[in-house]
Amino acid sequence: MRNSWLIARRELNERIGARSFLLFSIFGPLIILLAAYFLFAYGGEGKQRWNVLISDPTGIMDAKILANDDKSITYSFVNDYIELEEFRDAKQFQPFDAMIEINEKVLSNKTAFIFFREKPSVRMQTRLQFHIERRLEEVMVAEFTNLSVSAFRKIKQPLNIAFRNAYDPLDEASDLRAWVGFFFGTVIFLFIFLFGMTILRSVTLEKSNRIIEVLLASVRPNQLMAGKIIGIGIAAFIQFAIWIIIIGFGLFFLRETLFPDLMDAANMNVAQMTEEVKQQTNDYFFVNKEYNEFVDLVYERVQFGTMTAYFLLFFVVGYLFYGAFFAAIGATSGSESDGQQFILPIIFILCFALYAGYFALENPDSSLAVFFHYFPFTSPVVVMVKLSQGYTPGQGYQLFLSLFILVLSAIFVLLIAGRLYKNGILQYGHRIKLSLMLKWLKKM
Amino acid sequence: MLEIQHVSKSFFRNLALDDISLRIEAGEIFGLLGPNGAGKTTLIRIINRIIEPDNGYVRINGDLMTQHHQSMIGYLPEERGLYRTMTVEDHALFLGQLRGLSKRDVKMQLEYWLEKFDIADWRKKRIEELSKGMAQKVQFICTVLHEPKLLILDEPLSGFDPVNVELIKQELVEMKAKGKTIILSTHNMKSVEEICDRAALIHQSKKIMEGRISEIQEARKTGEFAIKFRGSMIAFVTALWTSFELTDKEILGDDKFIARVKMRGDNSFEDLLTALIGQVKIEAAWEVLPSMQDVFIDMVNPRKEANNA
Repeated sequence: MRNSWLIARRELNERIGARSFLLFSIFGPLIILLAAYFLFAYGGEGKQRWNVLISDPTGIMDAKILANDDKSITYSFVNDYIELEEFRDAKQFQPFDAMIEINEKVLSNKTAFIFFREKPSVRMQTRLQFHIERRLEEVMVAEFTNLSVSAFRKIKQPLNIAFRNAYDPLDEASDLRAWVGFFFGTVIFLFIFLFGMTILRSVTLEKSNRIIEVLLASVRPNQLMAGKIIGIGIAAFIQFAIWIIIIGFGLFFLRETLFPDLMDAANMNVAQMTEEVKQQTNDYFFVNKEYNEFVDLVYERVQFGTMTAYFLLFFVVGYLFYGAFFAAIGATSGSESDGQQFILPIIFILCFALYAGYFALENPDSSLAVFFHYFPFTSPVVVMVKLSQGYTPGQGYQLFLSLFILVLSAIFVLLIAGRLYKNGILQYGHRIKLSLMLKWLKKM
Repeated sequence: MLEIQHVSKSFFRNLALDDISLRIEAGEIFGLLGPNGAGKTTLIRIINRIIEPDNGYVRINGDLMTQHHQSMIGYLPEERGLYRTMTVEDHALFLGQLRGLSKRDVKMQLEYWLEKFDIADWRKKRIEELSKGMAQKVQFICTVLHEPKLLILDEPLSGFDPVNVELIKQELVEMKAKGKTIILSTHNMKSVEEICDRAALIHQSKKIMEGRISEIQEARKTGEFAIKFRGSMIAFVTALWTSFELTDKEILGDDKFIARVKMRGDNSFEDLLTALIGQVKIEAAWEVLPSMQDVFIDMVNPRKEANNA
């Protein structure tokens, strides 16, 4: 243990002493902050004005939707069925950005379809949904109750809460927040790859300059491998911590100085507004150009505490899992260039894991996404996506099951890598065949 | 001190060591000789417990070698390296602590060795700033920092200039005087003759010779004598007549030579001296022993093996 710690400390000192460590520690988070700045400054912009056609064959809405004009949406009504193909291809419908289909069943099944040409921003989606909902409320109140609309809305408030997901009050589950999870997962894999490559380089360097022989006269190969992975892992952890601190302070700085108006929580926190306030501020809220979904996302909706805790946990275990592969590759390759060749499959797997994260983001409920959630090669990124989307009540165990599988896999891979490392580390100058590696493993 | 018994090792059908047994006594310098690829490095790695033998065992001071004994060994491999970006002091601290020393002890020992080699100002230098020979010195220091009882040195003299070769040899002799045991694997046969007490020759995975250096040479002497004299070479050859054979000569000056002579028949060294006295002025005479270089070549020469077959 003492020897492993000595090896780890040496690796740590070497990494931290390197200029690249300092540069990456500072410029990495600064680049992210710069990206955040641009998203804050320009991310809320998009198509500013939408032309929306409402197909209402039975005249449910009575060609009405808003009392006052909305500055960013123009509604037009057609009391007829419009086929999707017709809307898509017919010349007369080309000026419309989206079509909302209000069929006769809408009052019973409460389902309306919106077909768009270009995906609306989350902000626009919210607004369209809000407008339709309110108009249909009026229709439903007239149809099914004796109440006035205002009286209905007074008593609707609690009902409204019941209609929405308690874990997702804005009912925008998915996309944007899931992207945050994907971003966290990508950062995990970025670090795993960068520091995994550091492990590989460190092992091949010790092999090529032959200090390995001196080391092995004092420490067992497994101690050496463990020390190396731990030392470089601590360096990665420190770098992470620096990133978190710089990004944390950076976001705080942006909030306090560059975008104080944007960050006014009163403008943003829709979930906490009463219906009345919401109504009063409605126009301002929607029309205000400075409303920005990224600001809202970063400052209001991401649970950084939880995300960061699981992020670190999955990073550590994921790093051990992949780090063992990098160490084994380093030990079994005849030279550094050999190692580069072996690294290709690992890069492929890392890219695949990122794709799996993207897949889980797009298809959160598919069985393949469930598989990726537990598959140790992909779970660190997929769990981050899932975590940001939110586990439904009673499914929290899935996260721990995934972590448990990853831990077991990491232990298994470390054992195998230890065997390959022990046998491969003293093989110089020639490529080690797969058959030979299998023989080593059989000796376990 | 060290007992190697019936050690064999193969690497997937390639036999690297075949039933090697050796005994190395405490306080001696033992030469481990053999051509490239003979199996010396494999044997050294087994002694260091870097690899395990397929058969046989290694004992140190009567105990089976365990990880606990590794701190008694100082190992300088032939293929040695250093971390280029580390300083001399950091290197010593790292390797010294791996060998079980405390930080304080490493610093004290490093101080001693840097002073001894007169290189105290290298302490904060990074390895990449040092020349090859300077790095070799640092490697040597790192090997002996923890005052090992057994030193295993694989080609310790390669890369050094003649001054430093003498310095290291002198150091080894001093260590031997302090009771350290040293295994010296080298192709430098001159240094084997100069500082080794005993040696073993490994060839094609087998031990083909072991013994005291003087006994090895004695066993392979050819009855040749060298005579250093002043006078005429013609007179010298005439004096030899048919009883002795001139095998070689070296001209030292106009009338100064070293001649190599072999006896014929039952003639002895005394007979040779008797024949020469009065003919030339003898300055010195000695029996010619084969050099370890000759012994080495003689024993591993493939042409000779082919002829024998």
